[in-house]
Amino acid sequence: MTSRPLLLLRLATAPIQEIGPTPHGTLSIFPIVGGTFDGERLRGKVLPGGGDWVTRRPDGVFELDLRATLETDDGALVYLTFSGVRDDASHYFRTLPRFETAAPKYDFLNRLLAVGLGEIRPDGPVHVFEELL
Amino acid sequence: MQTRPLMTLQVRVAPSHDVGAVPHGTRRVAPIAGGRFDGPRLRGVVVAGPSADWLLLRTDGVLELDLRATLQTDDGALIAMRSFGLRHGPADVMAALARGDAVDPARYYFRTTIRFETSHPSYAFLNRLVAVASGDRRAEGPIYTIDEVL
Repeated sequence: MTSRPLLLLRLATAPIQEIGPTPHGTLSIFPIVGGTFDGERLRGKVLPGGGDWVTRRPDGVFELDLRATLETDDGALVYLTFSGVRDDASHYFRTLPRFETAAPKYDFLNRLLAVGLGEIRPDGPVHVFEELL
Repeated sequence: MQTRPLMTLQVRVAPSHDVGAVPHGTRRVAPIAGGRFDGPRLRGVVVAGPSADWLLLRTDGVLELDLRATLQTDDGALIAMRSFGLRHGPADVMAALARGDAVDPARYYFRTTIRFETSHPSYAFLNRLVAVASGDRRAEGPIYTIDEVL
């Protein structure tokens, strides 16, 4: 499978909302308060209001379920969702992003699939998205 | 992005149920009648019954594929697979596919992202990975080349 760089996403999150043990695992919600994204074909900022619903499964793996709104530097809004897997034991952190937009310039986002390589940094999570070609 | 081969999945589809025009596009349900998967770490058959592909032709001409399948390995483990995909291409190519013609898969975009669930210890690694696939749409059903995302 070949891919090409799409963007690098930096998320700023507010203090965690700890929902705690639920039937599926331990649920923590990370509210998104901002961030930036940057790539050859699109760049801009992350709007406040999204979040990442993170469930720690009984086998120790974290399941991610993120929703966020991106605003490009030329004013287009892009709805981003991803599901993902984070396994700290094996340093595996991968996501499956999807996009929706009404902006014709960014319509290509409606027609592609992507994979994200995630990393937890001291100042927040960073995701490198690659488009599946 | 680094990947490594996970398996090739060949699916046999039964005649589809045309649900028709729905609020998000045109819905078609393609039941899966069977199939095979084969890779270095797992191989077996697709279990018919609950397996199907819920297809949505969007108003922008892109086909969304929402597949669920149950896989049974040659040593008896059951694996639940969920895949989300997109298929689109030039109008003449999509028309040829619709007729069931043989079309070079390089002429259209057919990619999916995949998650697995299993309770079998030998295949627990599948619970901890995401996978991507390239699809080759054949008249008798698609062939997916599935890679693990490393």
